[in-house]
Amino acid sequence: MNERKWKQLFVAARNEAAPAPPTEFEANVLRAIRRERRTETPEMLSIFDQLNLLFPRLAWAAAAIIALSVVADWGLTAVGVPGLGDGVSQISAQWLLTSNGF
Amino acid sequence: MNDDAELLERIRNGAPDDFAEVVRRHQSRVFAILHRYEHDAHKVEDLAQETFVKAWRALEQFDGRAPFEHWLSRIAVRVALDHLRREKKRRNEIGLLELGEEALEWLRSDDEKSELDGRAAAEILDLALRELSPADRVVITMQEIEGRSVKEICAATGASGVAVRVRALRARAKLKRALEKLVKL
Repeated sequence: MNERKWKQLFVAARNEAAPAPPTEFEANVLRAIRRERRTETPEMLSIFDQLNLLFPRLAWAAAAIIALSVVADWGLTAVGVPGLGDGVSQISAQWLLTSNGF
Repeated sequence: MNDDAELLERIRNGAPDDFAEVVRRHQSRVFAILHRYEHDAHKVEDLAQETFVKAWRALEQFDGRAPFEHWLSRIAVRVALDHLRREKKRRNEIGLLELGEEALEWLRSDDEKSELDGRAAAEILDLALRELSPADRVVITMQEIEGRSVKEICAATGASGVAVRVRALRARAKLKRALEKLVKL
């Protein structure tokens, strides 16, 4: 391609008119911005998310109850009072595991 | 409201709907920039919207040292560059079928008086420019079609003067080869 054609090509391209923005263009832009601002605000947490957030606390509470029970059982056995383990064995022997079933 | 600075200050101080006025003032310029890189009017509109949304997001970063329209043009050029990178993966092949009758005739003609209108020129350039990398395409478009100086291209692309000059030379040579290829097809 010679220099004349090269220049002609670019001059013609320069003269090509750009499309005019549609009349509602600024409204569309504002809508897109509002949509974006809405998605930026935090959404309501679902029940599963809330449980997920609570899980560490629930796990610690469960561990504390188990530890308390073990300590109480050990303490009661030490002072001669039937402990929780004895109580459970007694109930099993007397009621649940009787020879005639229930 | 007479100038951009005052308008932008109002938006920053809690009048987001005034951004519509910013869009009204600058939309023609943004459409003109994006039209150089994409000829589908719907896509140009989408890209223009992307440009203004990005400008909105980055509004706090605009320090007012340069005119707002320069800052916005820079965002538009980057949006165009990203678009070209996405499109490059999709359509890389050259096909004469995409050219109209007038463009084909002009390409094949040796007549010095042969005319070429803007539409046909854009078709030819669009096809030939696909041979270039998106960054080369931006530089050659800004330099040859928009008639921008190296300094202006540096400001819009964030590249150094040397990088722009080297890229422009390389892009020009590549574009010439691509056009030769089109003439021979």
